[in-house]
Amino acid sequence: MEYHPLPQPDQIETRVKEDAMGAYFMMFATAALGLPLPIINLVAAIIYYYVNREKGRFVQFHTLQSLYSQIPVSLLNSGLVAWTIVNFVKDLNFTGFYWGYLIMVATADLVYFIFSIIGAVKARKGVFYYFLFFGKLAYHQVYRIRPERAQSTLRNRPPGQ
Amino acid sequence: MQRTILRDLLILLGVFGLIWLVFSLFSYPDDPQLISKQKEEQLGDSYVELILLNPMFEKLDNSVVDSALLVIGGRLEDALPDSEYHYDFVVFESEMINAFTVPGGNILISSALIAFCDTPEELAAVMAHEMGHVEKQHVMSRLIKELGIEILTSRDQFVLGEIAGMLSSTSFDRKQEEEADLFAAQLLERAAIEPRTLATVFRKLEKETDWDLLEDFEIVSTHPNLSSRIRESLHYKPAADFQAERIDLDWEGVKAALL
Repeated sequence: MEYHPLPQPDQIETRVKEDAMGAYFMMFATAALGLPLPIINLVAAIIYYYVNREKGRFVQFHTLQSLYSQIPVSLLNSGLVAWTIVNFVKDLNFTGFYWGYLIMVATADLVYFIFSIIGAVKARKGVFYYFLFFGKLAYHQVYRIRPERAQSTLRNRPPGQ
Repeated sequence: MQRTILRDLLILLGVFGLIWLVFSLFSYPDDPQLISKQKEEQLGDSYVELILLNPMFEKLDNSVVDSALLVIGGRLEDALPDSEYHYDFVVFESEMINAFTVPGGNILISSALIAFCDTPEELAAVMAHEMGHVEKQHVMSRLIKELGIEILTSRDQFVLGEIAGMLSSTSFDRKQEEEADLFAAQLLERAAIEPRTLATVFRKLEKETDWDLLEDFEIVSTHPNLSSRIRESLHYKPAADFQAERIDLDWEGVKAALL
């Protein structure tokens, strides 16, 4: 599989670097807003991605990496909130399983936070920073050279052709 | 590339799954184990001493009753070989039908409760229920939650007296009662005593018209109500090869010794 060449820091405009950095900070704000239900922050993250995708692959990569890494973190947080509410409402025990989950979610949040800060700083410098799994996934998605669509698949043509 | 992406995903899932698993095995703050068993036993002994000083809980010294309790308690304890507690069953003279748990495996039983039971198995069922509160650490967790460790471990005689007073009418929440009921059924089954005997005790308590006599009895003072507990108890399914063995006691003789 072939990939587009990566731009070097001095080839990237400052504006683009700032937009790429914004992707990480934007996710923090929306993550806090959408804590009980991940819908709000995920929708906001997707909108941010679509608005900025035209600004080039560098922004697209960082936005997508941030978006992808936010999905599991949001789901884990929502799971924790739901589990806590159910425990309170049904007067259930806070078992070791629950506390283990809580610590796991807290670790995930912390790791997400630290990696996002590093990602933002690197993006501002015009450097690529790959998160485990999400980084490669975003790179694969954004920089993969897709085969050109054949002319015959075009559906809209001028009249008479 | 796809293979390394998949490998990374597996690493992530493995690491976080492991974190969850490892931290699930720890003990957490509301775990009453914050007080050692040894300390719990010491506290329990001082509470029992103080409770028995109260004229309402005068200890009954009767060798017939004591040996009957040793037989029943021994049978239940034998079915609980992994228990960290050494149980001590103490009978006190009272017209009130009552039994309650004091930390450290001390279970206090009123003479009226013994008289109320028609068979030793019925008393065994109540004792097994109380042992459930001990094993599940309901008393300790309740005391820690309500009073905090500092007060609980206080050496002040007044504070100790107040805690002792609280213990004789402790009530548990619904979940704890259900846990103790289930524990009792399982323990009775292991001890070759009909596990649904608890339903008989509940039915008789429900029929008891003089509610003043039951005022302090935790079994009846808390939710869920008795009829739903009778239903739960009757739902219990012993193993297919379960065979009940009678507790070999002259129960009428034991009851006569109370008079």
